[in-house]
Amino acid sequence: MTALLQIRNLDVTFDTARGQVKALRGVSFDVPRGKIVGVVGESGSGKSTVIWAITRLLSANGRIAGGEIRFDGRNLLALTEDEMRAFRGQQASIVFQDPMTSQIPVKSYLQQMLDILYRRKDRRAEKIGHGVAMLRRVGIPDPDQRINQFPHQFSGGMRQRAGIAMALLMNPQLLIADEPTTALDVTMEAQIIHLLRKLQAELQTTILLVSHNLGLIAELCDEIVVMYAGEVMERGDIRSVFARPAHPYTQALIECDPARILERSRRLPTIRGDLQDLPAAPAGCVFASRCPHAFDRCWSEKPAAHVLSDGHDARCHLLDASGVGRGKPPLAAHAGTPSATTNPGSPTRSADPLISVRDLCVSLPGPGGLKALLPGRSAPMIDVLLDVNLDLHVGETLGLVGESGSGKTTLGRTILGLVRARSGSVKLRGRELIGLSEGQFRPLRGNMAMMFQDPIGSLSPRQSVRSLVLEPFDVHRPPGIDRDAMADKLADMVNLPRDLLSRYPHQLSGGQARRVGVARALALEPDLIIADEPTAGLDVSVQGEVLNLMCRLQVEHSLSYLIISHNLPVVRHVSDRLAIMYLGRIVEQGDCEAIFRQPAHPYTEALVKGIPRPDPEQRRILVSIEGEVPSVARRPSGCEFHTRCPYAQDRCRRELPGETVLADGRHVRCHFPLMD
Amino acid sequence: MSATRSDRPLVAASAPDRLGSEGWRRLRRIVGNWQGLTGLILVLLFFASALFAPVLAPYDPNALDIPARLSGPSWLHFAGTDQLGRDTFSRVLHGGRIALYVAAIGVSTSLAIGLLLGMLAGYGARWLDGLLLLLFDVIRSFPTIVIALAAVALLGPSLNLVLTIIIVTSIPSYARLVRTSTMALRNTEFIIAERSLGVGLGRILWRHILPNVVGPMFILAAMDVPVVVTVEAGLSFLGLGVLPPTASWGSILNEGYLLIRQTPWPIIAGGIPLILATLGFTFLGEALRDILDPRLGQRR
Repeated sequence: MTALLQIRNLDVTFDTARGQVKALRGVSFDVPRGKIVGVVGESGSGKSTVIWAITRLLSANGRIAGGEIRFDGRNLLALTEDEMRAFRGQQASIVFQDPMTSQIPVKSYLQQMLDILYRRKDRRAEKIGHGVAMLRRVGIPDPDQRINQFPHQFSGGMRQRAGIAMALLMNPQLLIADEPTTALDVTMEAQIIHLLRKLQAELQTTILLVSHNLGLIAELCDEIVVMYAGEVMERGDIRSVFARPAHPYTQALIECDPARILERSRRLPTIRGDLQDLPAAPAGCVFASRCPHAFDRCWSEKPAAHVLSDGHDARCHLLDASGVGRGKPPLAAHAGTPSATTNPGSPTRSADPLISVRDLCVSLPGPGGLKALLPGRSAPMIDVLLDVNLDLHVGETLGLVGESGSGKTTLGRTILGLVRARSGSVKLRGRELIGLSEGQFRPLRGNMAMMFQDPIGSLSPRQSVRSLVLEPFDVHRPPGIDRDAMADKLADMVNLPRDLLSRYPHQLSGGQARRVGVARALALEPDLIIADEPTAGLDVSVQGEVLNLMCRLQVEHSLSYLIISHNLPVVRHVSDRLAIMYLGRIVEQGDCEAIFRQPAHPYTEALVKGIPRPDPEQRRILVSIEGEVPSVARRPSGCEFHTRCPYAQDRCRRELPGETVLADGRHVRCHFPLMD
Repeated sequence: MSATRSDRPLVAASAPDRLGSEGWRRLRRIVGNWQGLTGLILVLLFFASALFAPVLAPYDPNALDIPARLSGPSWLHFAGTDQLGRDTFSRVLHGGRIALYVAAIGVSTSLAIGLLLGMLAGYGARWLDGLLLLLFDVIRSFPTIVIALAAVALLGPSLNLVLTIIIVTSIPSYARLVRTSTMALRNTEFIIAERSLGVGLGRILWRHILPNVVGPMFILAAMDVPVVVTVEAGLSFLGLGVLPPTASWGSILNEGYLLIRQTPWPIIAGGIPLILATLGFTFLGEALRDILDPRLGQRR
């Protein structure tokens, strides 16, 4: 039986102001019927371009320059625009990355579904019934009522489920999923993986899954296609590719994934160099400039696909029968990993904490509706942080983990005095920070710096990199600064090429912009850096580089880090201690390794076990917790986690657990901790 | 210091050079784009004709030549004459001076004040925002003519009074536009990042908000130039601004309107420079906006 979708030698070019850019070059792969095929690659690898080429939705300056796309034996490139329109949605449909922006905000799900079903001749009642059944199938409770709701009334995970339901509505032969879990929280991601797997088993749909997340691909897919710079590097059966990656890029990609490394290391492996913008196809291998094994032939000659003994194939000269490098040891880019298990910046923990947070509560005004506009009334206050206790010692890294809405970003901003606290105390070296005016706070800001989530969006767009990294000096005016020398020194410190100093933020890659953020944070040599999602929006290879840089600087400048993240695998590698937040409370706090070894709070357990691992041999039935994070505006009674807790008992529903200290010094808020 | 410089000859040598080339690059981008080039030429023509009007004008704009009244274009009078036999071409040139004066001072002053008030309303405290909005709404609720009549009744007609009224009544539209874009920026990550560094209010507004909100203002200002010129013309027509016999484009148009049954030339002669100036400022404004925004520049 032929594959459902066959792509042969696909070339896609984009006409840009700088000439033609060949975004895809000779891409070939098959998507067999009833299988899940994953396309993996970093940003710029062309993985999304493949989707848009298949559905003929390339942006106006893009065009398919050559090759063939066959679907069920039909050549898609020969179809007229009308036939293509019939193809989309009926035979192939797409689940998008961001369910918020890919659904129509002013139409209810019922209206959106009727729009999709316009091709069917059924009666309206039948169509509604079909829509309700599909919503039920993807696990939306009360579907016959909720079908009349609008996207904003659904939470993020529910919205993505509805997106999947709408994509499956016409019973397509091919489902294309573009980063379906990237916009979701960890527990939601696990649920969506579970759902996709279940649907695939029930409906025998063929799925083409595009993602940068190796863990997701390993959990779901039967086959994998590894892409780099618009070319396919390696493809084949998921197990054999993960077990015996043949291409140096695949090897590096798998090694870089922090979820793969279970033992804690202070140094993460990286791929040297950056993905280059390739205006023209290089004569040789596209990966040569970053490949540690590259030799003469890699620069001059394009490698052909070599079929390996286990049936998967890769494009690399090293695999050539006469190849020079056959049997070379795998990538050495992570040299030094084993020795780094001991913490080099091992904090000599002083008795006095650098930052000490006690009983911190923060309330923000909620949406009050029209009544709040009346005089004498104010919008109801919503508790965003409740009774937060936290200590951060000199030279220590504390990982603050939680899903979106847990208040972790608010906590970071409150410590920096950017959000006003309702009660409680935050002390920096014993000095109370709550209640200080901005004028009193300003001198302290040199001591504490923050790195923000969006690497590019947190840089003022009209300022050059040079004036951005020098800005702290303009504000605090320490004496005796040679601005030129300082700009160069900061650039060198964060490995930023000096010629980038004259650029503007939008001209930087994510990793470069992140390094500018690090340089700004470090400019005044602070004691504390609060890093909000330092690796968000970065590719795996760059992610390791940024974390290694942060670790190196921690040792050199004896910094303390408060790292805020939802990405547990990343936090694990850099943190000494962890604090897990749920709905504005810290539910568990203690030594990082101990928490990973044996979580005490059921929520922590769900987070730790919910990480998709890049190992197809170890697909676990995910013990994902049910439901979603409740709104802070409507806190559940008793223990706030009881609505999702698999172990909840009556007492949990009635009584709010206090903070208990376990034998190993861990703080937990749970009536029945999973260890005693 | 000198040692560090000699270590980095490349950076030190190229830095001032780069600044210079940046300016040239921008100018070249204006000239390279047909809209920018047309706009630049028209605006320069407007400025030159207004500045050199006394030299360029073939006649005294107020000199009467009753026998030649209402003549059409000829070699003697390029744009004909009006009902008093004054040379329309000379009057248009001189009228351009008034238009330039009103447009340049009126638009730039209201732009500057509008920017400042708009950023304060958008970034400052809630009560300040409310107060400023109330003020803008009060100003907008009066028709310009009514304010002008009241002011002239109190203070007597003069060009500077007209200018003041123009400034006061056009501040709200600038301020409201700036306020909206400022509010959209105030909670973005990069502004919070600046606050976390301890950057003060003035620096945030001047260095981080202003460059991001000023782009659309150029368009608004460019389109405001003809409005301002016609408001001046209208007020002058009512006898509230420029007094006869001083020439302004507005007064030429108004007089031409009364003579439309006898001759079309005064209207044509007064209208064409107004249209060209409008086009020029609009084109230049759009080109400037694109060039001042580094992100737009990249896409082209």
